[in-house]
Amino acid sequence: MLRLLLSSKEFYPVRFFLASFLLSGLIILNVSAPGTAWAGDVTQAIVIEDAFGRKISVNMPVQGIVVLNSDVLEVLRSLRAQDLVKGVYSEIDKDGVFFQEFLDRPRVGSWKNANAELIADLNPSIVIAYENNPGTELEKQLSPFGIQVLRLNFYKLGTIAKEIRILSKIIGREQQGEIFAAWYGKKLDAIQKRFDYIKEKPLVYVESYSAFHTAGPGSGGHDMCVYAGGKNLADEFKVPYSEITSEWVISKQPDVIFKTIAWGNGFERKDRVFFNNVRNELAARPSWNLIPAVKKGRVHVLDSGIWTGPRAVIGVAHMAKCIYPQMFDGLDPEQIHKEYLEFFQKIPYQGVYISENLSGGAK
Amino acid sequence: MNTDCLTIKNQDMKNQYKALKYRSLVLLAAFFLIASVIAVIALCVGASSISVTDSILALIEDNGMARSIVWNLRLPRVIMALLIGIGLGTSGAVFQAVLRNPLASPFTLGIGSSAGFGAVIAIVFFNGLVNEYAVVIWAFIFTLLSSFLILGVSRYKGATAETMILTGIALMFLFSSLSSFLQYLGTKEEVHGIVFWFFGSLSKAGYREIVMSGIMILAPMPFVFRFAFDFNLMTAGDESAGALGVNVSGVRMLSIALASLMTSGAICFTGVIGFIGLVAPHIARMIFGSDNLFLIPASALIGGVLVLSADTLGRTVWLPHVIPIGIVTSFIGVPFFLYLLIKKTKEYW
Amino acid sequence: MLQVGNLSFNYGKTCVLKDINLNVKKGEIISVLGPNGVGKTTLLKCLLGMIKPCSGFIEMDEMDILKMSSTHRARLIGYVPQAFPSKFPMTVFDAVLMGRKPYVRFVPSENDLEVVSQVLMSMNLNHLGLKDFDRISGGQKQKVLIARAIAQEPNYLVLDEPSSNLDVRHQLEVMDMLRKLAQKENIGIIMAMHSLNLASRFSDRIAMLKSGCMVCNGTPLEVMTPKIIETVYKIEANIHRINGYPYTIPLNPMPENRTNKELLN
Repeated sequence: MLRLLLSSKEFYPVRFFLASFLLSGLIILNVSAPGTAWAGDVTQAIVIEDAFGRKISVNMPVQGIVVLNSDVLEVLRSLRAQDLVKGVYSEIDKDGVFFQEFLDRPRVGSWKNANAELIADLNPSIVIAYENNPGTELEKQLSPFGIQVLRLNFYKLGTIAKEIRILSKIIGREQQGEIFAAWYGKKLDAIQKRFDYIKEKPLVYVESYSAFHTAGPGSGGHDMCVYAGGKNLADEFKVPYSEITSEWVISKQPDVIFKTIAWGNGFERKDRVFFNNVRNELAARPSWNLIPAVKKGRVHVLDSGIWTGPRAVIGVAHMAKCIYPQMFDGLDPEQIHKEYLEFFQKIPYQGVYISENLSGGAK
Repeated sequence: MNTDCLTIKNQDMKNQYKALKYRSLVLLAAFFLIASVIAVIALCVGASSISVTDSILALIEDNGMARSIVWNLRLPRVIMALLIGIGLGTSGAVFQAVLRNPLASPFTLGIGSSAGFGAVIAIVFFNGLVNEYAVVIWAFIFTLLSSFLILGVSRYKGATAETMILTGIALMFLFSSLSSFLQYLGTKEEVHGIVFWFFGSLSKAGYREIVMSGIMILAPMPFVFRFAFDFNLMTAGDESAGALGVNVSGVRMLSIALASLMTSGAICFTGVIGFIGLVAPHIARMIFGSDNLFLIPASALIGGVLVLSADTLGRTVWLPHVIPIGIVTSFIGVPFFLYLLIKKTKEYW
Repeated sequence: MLQVGNLSFNYGKTCVLKDINLNVKKGEIISVLGPNGVGKTTLLKCLLGMIKPCSGFIEMDEMDILKMSSTHRARLIGYVPQAFPSKFPMTVFDAVLMGRKPYVRFVPSENDLEVVSQVLMSMNLNHLGLKDFDRISGGQKQKVLIARAIAQEPNYLVLDEPSSNLDVRHQLEVMDMLRKLAQKENIGIIMAMHSLNLASRFSDRIAMLKSGCMVCNGTPLEVMTPKIIETVYKIEANIHRINGYPYTIPLNPMPENRTNKELLN
């Protein structure tokens, strides 16, 4: 009877109606599926506060995460939560060797322009993004799917331990998170407490990725400089990344200069040639030979891998050792890095992350 | 007797016209003087604590640090600013004349955005953040590419102003969307670098850069002046210029090529610097009239004055921050431009 | 003498001009008449060397204009366009100075300025010299454009509808000026015209074009006949003779169907 109905030409509209009915039924089922699944479980929700300062209620346990930047991905690996990562940001290939195990995950777009459709397809519980990128349109696009957007920065030294604890809590890896956060705090404190007796801190010029752009308060680079016991030349700036003149740097006579570069990945580097070249170019800028830091060979170039982000503590250790070679004679940043990679990241320690130290300190 | 009277009148006419041109010549000299004064001021101010007297002394004698700062840091910056202003001003005047369009500028023909795209390629794929020459080279390659495209289309479709402007605008959109696409692929650090590049900056100006961009900007100058009178004719229509013996499409193609070279000499080293190329010729026209024999040098000088004062202000008003040059040029260029636009009343402009 | 022989021009596959023969002597004014789209402007462009004819020859003082350099050509033949489309302000003096282009190497010389002021003087445009070209009246503009062509010191002058945008007084002034120029400076003038009566009154000869072909070529009295007007313009007209000049009074358009048939062919 139904077949008769369907095959007869006159009933074409009926057939169309039936098909669309079935289709819409499927869509409804599909959309409501996660909801019904939740209703089945006895779930508990926990309330956390993200980088925006928003209170977010997250349903536990989190069953899938889409990660929009390398910082979060690295932290998740430290928390042994690789299996929760359902989708990753598209630029991951640039760090292909470092994040090898994630290369098979679906890509969902860039760190500042994620594709909401791709994310919705993966149906994660949460998406983790930076505080300001992508914009809040992501929340609007994903809320109909019941996907929450969590804003965690992981690039500010002051909040990184807190953010590790938040993340570990919502993925149910609190123990691992506690170990990691504690380790992090301990390493930072070990450096910090040495500065209690330092009265005059050396002047430090911090140059971020673009030439003649310095890192002022509000930037990760400034935090690192302060944690490493330096007095940032730009510490009274109102802008996080400001262009400055060569003349200003020279007239301020910094004792140490740090520059970070984001090209390739320190993890894959075999030697210091690249860093040294950048350092030499910096030192060769017109009249920079008048700067004490240049005269004394205290210009250092750091890889972006240890610059801000989850490994900022390693960068800080390097910087502290560069600023206070005697005081931190016993400090071995590479040992910290090795610990981090082998114990938390579970990958072998390798790579080169800083230029050769010309000022006579340890290598 | 009647004839005598006519001759006197006749002399009068010619002399009046010559007086007008002498006035322009005097004004040019005045602008040259202004440029020099601003240049000296620019050499004397800066972020360092050396005094103005020390700065002036540093010009003539060796007084240690001050000399180094003035000669190695401020002077290259001043020269570069002047060069860039000259390049953008001149090329803007040329574009407006040969395209017979008061809205034409180096950016109308997509040269700005193609240079931008080159810079973005260098930053995203060739480590342009560290290797500054990669940015310069790629920006240069793409300015050349876009002007070749425009000239190619013009050769095929006829070198009319309309063909060129439409091709240029199409290229402008193409290259800006390509840049956006690459930014979409870029990492956090790269996107940062790209944004800064588009603001423009003279911080990287050194003597090597000055030599290179100086060649690109100054070498085409004599040719441009050679065509100045032809430009006058071309602003009055291709047909009548052709009937007067101007090789219209030849002059147009060659001048576009030369002006593009000047533009890229100006922007490849420093990033996209606002609308100097549009505004300097207009300011010059309001003061000097439309005679390209005066308009071109005047646009060059005014462009130089504008960029130099913008950079000097940009690096001194908010010490020790530098307000990016691209932003300051608009800040001082636009009000000045509007002021002149409202005030101009003279019949002969 | 300016000689045009068997001149043909095709635009793509469309024949625009066919076998045109025309002579212009120095000191003579010739008007080219015909309806819109008949090839008048194309003919002028060929004379100016702006476009190359497909066949035929144009010789100026026994020299082939296609073999001349553009500068050489510009010294022999001046052009007065219908409009001056400059978007930029320019003084009248500068506009006339443009006419010196064929003689200027890099910048205009003292002599060039002298010539320009003399031309302005002789055309009574002196008082306008430093005015902005855009701010003078239409009639004055037309005179300035003629002055520019005179500053070229040409032997021949080509004008594209010099009276089209002018009021009656200026039409008469401009035409009168042209006739005096032709006689005084011994310049051969050829102009495309719309007004039959102005052409009849001021031309030495009139050439009538119809669909790219020359219908007739003769003195105004020879050419201005109801028969010829009818063939060329498809109108019915009366011709009156006043003060020795033929005056055309258009009466009615001819029935459309004939025109349509022709269009279809």
